[in-house]
Amino acid sequence: MIKSEAVKAAFREYYFKQKLVEAPDNMDQREFGYSLFGIPGMVRHLSFKNPGELTAALVREVPSDVYCSNALYRFPTLPMQEKQWQGADLIFDIDGKDLHLPCVPSHSYPVCSNCGQASPPVEKEYACPACGNKKAEYVSIPCGKCIDGSKKEAARLVEFLTGDLGIAKENIHVFFSGNNGFHFHISDGSYRPLDSQARSDLVGYLAGVGLIAESIGVRRSPGSDLAFVKFPKSGLDYGWRKRIAEELDISASSTIRLTNIVKEKGGYSAFKAELDRITRQLGVRIDPQVTTDVHRVFRMPGTLNSKSGLAKFRCSLDRLDSFDPFVDACVLGSTKVQVRMKTHAKVKLKGQTFSISKEEAELPAFAAVYFICKGLAEAA
Amino acid sequence: MSIRLGTGDLARYPFLNEAGEYLRQSGFGWEELDRPDMADIIQRAAERIEAGVSGKVYEKLDRYETEILTFLVTLIMVKSIGMEPVLKKYALAEARRAEKFLTEDLRRQNDAQRQALLSKIFGDLFGLAIDTTEDGRLFKVKVTDYLARSSHFHEQEWKMINRLVSNGNVYLGPDETVRLVRNELAVMINGRVHAMSLPALPKAIKERSDTLRAELAPRYEYRAHSVTEYPPCVKHAIEVMNRGENLPHSARLMLATYMLAIDKPVDEIVEMFKNAPDFNERITRYQVEHLAGSKGSRTKYSVPSCDKLRTENLCFATKDCDSIINPIQFGRRRK
Ligand code: SF4
Ligand SMILES: [Zn+2]
Ligand SMILES: [Zn+2]
Repeated sequence: MIKSEAVKAAFREYYFKQKLVEAPDNMDQREFGYSLFGIPGMVRHLSFKNPGELTAALVREVPSDVYCSNALYRFPTLPMQEKQWQGADLIFDIDGKDLHLPCVPSHSYPVCSNCGQASPPVEKEYACPACGNKKAEYVSIPCGKCIDGSKKEAARLVEFLTGDLGIAKENIHVFFSGNNGFHFHISDGSYRPLDSQARSDLVGYLAGVGLIAESIGVRRSPGSDLAFVKFPKSGLDYGWRKRIAEELDISASSTIRLTNIVKEKGGYSAFKAELDRITRQLGVRIDPQVTTDVHRVFRMPGTLNSKSGLAKFRCSLDRLDSFDPFVDACVLGSTKVQVRMKTHAKVKLKGQTFSISKEEAELPAFAAVYFICKGLAEAA
Repeated sequence: MSIRLGTGDLARYPFLNEAGEYLRQSGFGWEELDRPDMADIIQRAAERIEAGVSGKVYEKLDRYETEILTFLVTLIMVKSIGMEPVLKKYALAEARRAEKFLTEDLRRQNDAQRQALLSKIFGDLFGLAIDTTEDGRLFKVKVTDYLARSSHFHEQEWKMINRLVSNGNVYLGPDETVRLVRNELAVMINGRVHAMSLPALPKAIKERSDTLRAELAPRYEYRAHSVTEYPPCVKHAIEVMNRGENLPHSARLMLATYMLAIDKPVDEIVEMFKNAPDFNERITRYQVEHLAGSKGSRTKYSVPSCDKLRTENLCFATKDCDSIINPIQFGRRRK
């Protein structure tokens, strides 16, 4: 929860001129929610009849974060049990922090959990320079490698969605999350009615969880850990079977190679474990909770993220590679804001590097807000 | 392709609308069932019901027209017997019978006429579009159609990751395709009987139904008895409902979960709500099915406890409520 007039002023200016906020389709059936500066929690169960009403609310309230349900309801403003769920768009969340990349410690700022003192990233064991406490919360300023990591997952997800699931490109909407990842909104109506169980099965498919050895023809000999190979009648030509066949370099024309691989691994169980490892590696790292919860609210496209001050920004599927969140999604103005830094910190925004070692500095609003939202500075 | 259904098709799939149409066109009238030479049909119908109730599948398919008629007569008889457990078992048996024929037909890969018939059955009855692969060995269903059904199966092999998936389609063998819709078949036959209104019954059918009911009733005695008397809280809710007054959400929840718990069919529960000022059949049905654990949620909701109902001012206890903790126990203790 951020409490800063300077941040709120920058957000207000954005919402006043906003051009990026995207009102969802079937707007009157959606539940909206937002958080306000300085007030914990979220106001939920709101409804806006048209984009004009929504715009007016954004300018009036200047929320720190704005959310909208992917679900459609008959009565979006009633309590959950009475809303009458009518379906929900399929959504996915790829979060950079779930990728556990090796670069993360080099750009994570410890904030002492005892006294709140922030300090620059440390490679060695942490101890608070002010009070000596060894526990801290870490604030990450994602680096280029983090963003590339998320992009890779996003590209893989696109491949699954268009290839395996046959979803048309124009129905796949990809957004930078506004902090450190990507959000997918799928506008293919045939997915709307699926319940959370069905979505969970879909997540398993995309994440590479639950492939049984039999699917690619490895069967256990009764009463032992030995295996024999008998390829499924339907072949290995598509989907996961194809991925595994390529990975193991096998083909349905001969069982010899696969039989040998299983033997080398040491039998059915060992092969099964290896298969698990491979599928997880080839699968996409998506947050299962987000996709399977059909009653949630999800950050709204084009709104600002108070974890960074960046926008949830629409990315073109074909130009995901060249997308740079620190340029494209950095949408706040450049009015000068005086800040007091809590530590020496560094970020590159709109092509300018801000490496601030002084205690006080005057920064353009977009950079000042970024540091304040990260908890590494406060308005002076 | 236009599809011509022969009597053989109708005998195997007598729940298709075309079966009723066929009888109408042949000029058949119900009163003919009183003719002595129709005794065979009534006899077969009774056999078919008895087989179903004992968990067996009626196998006869020797005379096509006879079996078409037999099926329609069984529906009327089951309706006239009017016992929910009988209907349930019967519907399940019909589903299994049809499943057998469907699987056989799907295996006949190279018969275009057959394929067209099957697409029609899957499309008309289950809203499921199926297509064959070029070599005719496998069937394609849409990923979403697949997920909506398979995710309720528990076997690992039904997880979509274990299927051949490409370009929005899941590829299935004949048996698997049928397995995907098996449950819906029983639900459909069940619904068919519920939706039916009974014609004035020919004497021969009426008598046979009465005998069957008398025969079968003892098996379900306990159930039949336990639902005759509702607990006071439930009675009260029904009265409010029947007066067309608004019933609070919590009371509706109690009423619906109670009715589900005593195995009242969803259709009848939906009926009970029709006097509510804001009644909407589709939504009510959805909600009841949700509570039953068949839509949206996997959990079956249980009846709220007497304690809970007391705090919600929904309890109207009488001395018969003595020492029970859940309305579901009402009238089932001692005596
Ligand atoms: S005691 Fe229980 S069953 Fe009896 S009226 Fe109250 S809630 Fe209903
Ligand atoms: Zn400290
Ligand atoms: Zn990084």
